[in-house]
Amino acid sequence: MPEVFIDGTRYEYDEEKDEMLLQFILDQGLEVPFFCYHPSMSIPANCRQCMVKVGTPVKDQETGEYELDEDGERKIRWFPKFQTSCSTRLQDGMVVLTQESSKEVARAQKDNLEFILVNHPLDCPICDQAGECPLQIQTYKYGPEGSRFEVKKVHKPKHVDLGPRVTLDAERCINCTRCVRFTEEISETHQLTIVQRGDDNYPTTAPGEEFDDPYSLNTVDICPVGALTSTDFRFKARVWEMNQTPSIDITNGKGCNIDLWTRDNEVLRITPRQNEEVNDYWMPDEGREAYEQFNENRVDRPSIKLDGDNQSNTSWNNAIETFAEVLEANDPSDITIIGSPHASVEENYAFNKFFNLLGVRNAKFTPHVIPGAGDGFLITDDQAPNTNGCRVINLDEADDTSIQSNVAAAKVVIILSDDLVGREVLSTSDLDNPYTISLATNHSKTTKASDLVIPITCVAEHAASYVNIDGRIQRSYPAKETKYTNRRLNLEMSEGRLDRFGTNFDNWVSEENKVDCLPVWDFLNKLGDRLGLDFKYDHSREVFAELSSSIDELQGISYERMDEENGVQLPIEQKEVKA
Amino acid sequence: MAELSFTQEELDEIERLKAKFPTAKAATLRVLWVAQQKYGHVEPEVQNLVAKTLDVPKSHVHGVASFYTQYYKEEKGKFVLDVCTCLSCQLCGGYEILHHLEEELGIEAGETTDDGMFTIQEVECLGACGYAPMLQVTNGVYVNNLTKEKVDTLLENLKNGNMPEFESMAMPELEKRNQAASK
Repeated sequence: MPEVFIDGTRYEYDEEKDEMLLQFILDQGLEVPFFCYHPSMSIPANCRQCMVKVGTPVKDQETGEYELDEDGERKIRWFPKFQTSCSTRLQDGMVVLTQESSKEVARAQKDNLEFILVNHPLDCPICDQAGECPLQIQTYKYGPEGSRFEVKKVHKPKHVDLGPRVTLDAERCINCTRCVRFTEEISETHQLTIVQRGDDNYPTTAPGEEFDDPYSLNTVDICPVGALTSTDFRFKARVWEMNQTPSIDITNGKGCNIDLWTRDNEVLRITPRQNEEVNDYWMPDEGREAYEQFNENRVDRPSIKLDGDNQSNTSWNNAIETFAEVLEANDPSDITIIGSPHASVEENYAFNKFFNLLGVRNAKFTPHVIPGAGDGFLITDDQAPNTNGCRVINLDEADDTSIQSNVAAAKVVIILSDDLVGREVLSTSDLDNPYTISLATNHSKTTKASDLVIPITCVAEHAASYVNIDGRIQRSYPAKETKYTNRRLNLEMSEGRLDRFGTNFDNWVSEENKVDCLPVWDFLNKLGDRLGLDFKYDHSREVFAELSSSIDELQGISYERMDEENGVQLPIEQKEVKA
Repeated sequence: MAELSFTQEELDEIERLKAKFPTAKAATLRVLWVAQQKYGHVEPEVQNLVAKTLDVPKSHVHGVASFYTQYYKEEKGKFVLDVCTCLSCQLCGGYEILHHLEEELGIEAGETTDDGMFTIQEVECLGACGYAPMLQVTNGVYVNNLTKEKVDTLLENLKNGNMPEFESMAMPELEKRNQAASK
């Protein structure tokens, strides 16, 4: 095995991988500061921050033996100047001194930071990036205590709307070109470039062009300073006030791995979470806008139509009683249940199982596909996160017309979390005749047309799994409390600073953002109690455990495995999602 | 502005330039130059024309054009007078020349006369310290060892459409060296 010595410690490396020094150092859990390097993009080595001292052993040209000095140590021929570790290829016998063992290197990195900070405004107190800013962190760790530059800083454009979603503050930019390389290499829209030169330069679009790349917000994530900020999230919250909870993007079939950032049970932003198998470091802008649907327009408390078309809120007891009476008054063969590719595997399974126990036919579902909407990268034609999940648990896949005829023939229609009217599978008049019950997260045309609406938890409020378009099963965690859950008692939920130290008497903690809703299985437990049905799941984990023991494709899969392996590929046939 | 386009002749020239480089992107500088020769500036519309002709991203052409001061990103006068005020010229009276020009033409550095004839720009070193103070006319010929009188003559000549001739300047040290070498 070829070897490399970093700060006096010997490491072996795999020559096949053709790795760069910086990546190797990072992989060992060591640290060298850097700004412009990004593992998924080309290496320009332009920030100069990752400088280290590098040397190679001297070999006798004839014998091929290492030459030794008086102490019997290998003679090292140092590179005449420091090397940027990001662009230095590993070599057998290479000796590396980082800032940890070389004062010279530490000094060089410090001076480089002083240089980078010459025109940086240091407006961290009002900067959105503060708290998650590589420049801030590394200046704190490796930077100078002060600056020797007493002259006026160069002023550049501030608050430039580069596009509909990204705002630029050119003064903060350190010209690492990560954003430019992103548009060139990853999204391939080539919309950004560095303009001007010297201390005047900053990234922008060509004149008259908009930065409307469907992946534009990724540049905000990879910006190592606060130069590119999200127009939507700007000035909304400090990062240290929020909780970060892993989850899954539910706006399309790809199932990008994401983090939900919440404060006081309000989802404030969504950022991608790295997963090489699915989305690498990226996600489409569309998926980030989904945070609004977790907070706003939620179905809060059950509601019921009493007179004509007016829905009014009602109690859970009344809702359960009404639901039960409807089920008792009708023959199971007159009831149609419709599952949803927008709901999780567990929800669909519990939903289907409950009504199967009553003798109702298997649930149908219809995929939500818009042909041509996808781009072959992270945006898919499939608009739902769990189409394959519905297939795995053997719901009946149906087209629009078959759903329509089923609804027309039924006396009771029960719809799980799918806006069938909004996406024009059904029309409002289709739901006039049958008694319609919706289990829904958000208000929609479908809930408006329903006679009884049961509020259920959304992906941000429950732990549940989703099978993406490639057949990979991944799961969410509860990020937002409902009226009936408590962060401090539910160890699955993350606790941020405000959650831990806030009290109900603080002005930053409120009850307002907790939605009055229940997980589907929890609601069905209660309905089952009323009907005297043998149906009880305490947690989605139990639903999934039952699934993995009964369905071949899910055998051996558990939440633990999904967590450890960042999702599990199911052995299912890759089939085209039908329109 | 009407739709811009290159003539067939210019397109042939561009093809010839492209052939010199491994990629079309590499020809950006030269083609921007062709465009500036034609229009006298490379305003965004012209940059877009270059991008379209070369089939490279608009942003790339914009980045390149904005890097070099020699590309005029806005319309300038017919004659652009780049007066050097860097160290050597400054010591030899570069600012006096600049201010004299400003007075004569009634404009400040960076501005263009109303008749669209002249633009004055204050520039950094043009690499002609031996001939200080000096100025350059429209990215072209250097006018060396300036005096106020010489500037007046230059303006008069330019108004009549006469570009100054290139003046070969004697460099005493260099001549000495050349002589020594030829012995």
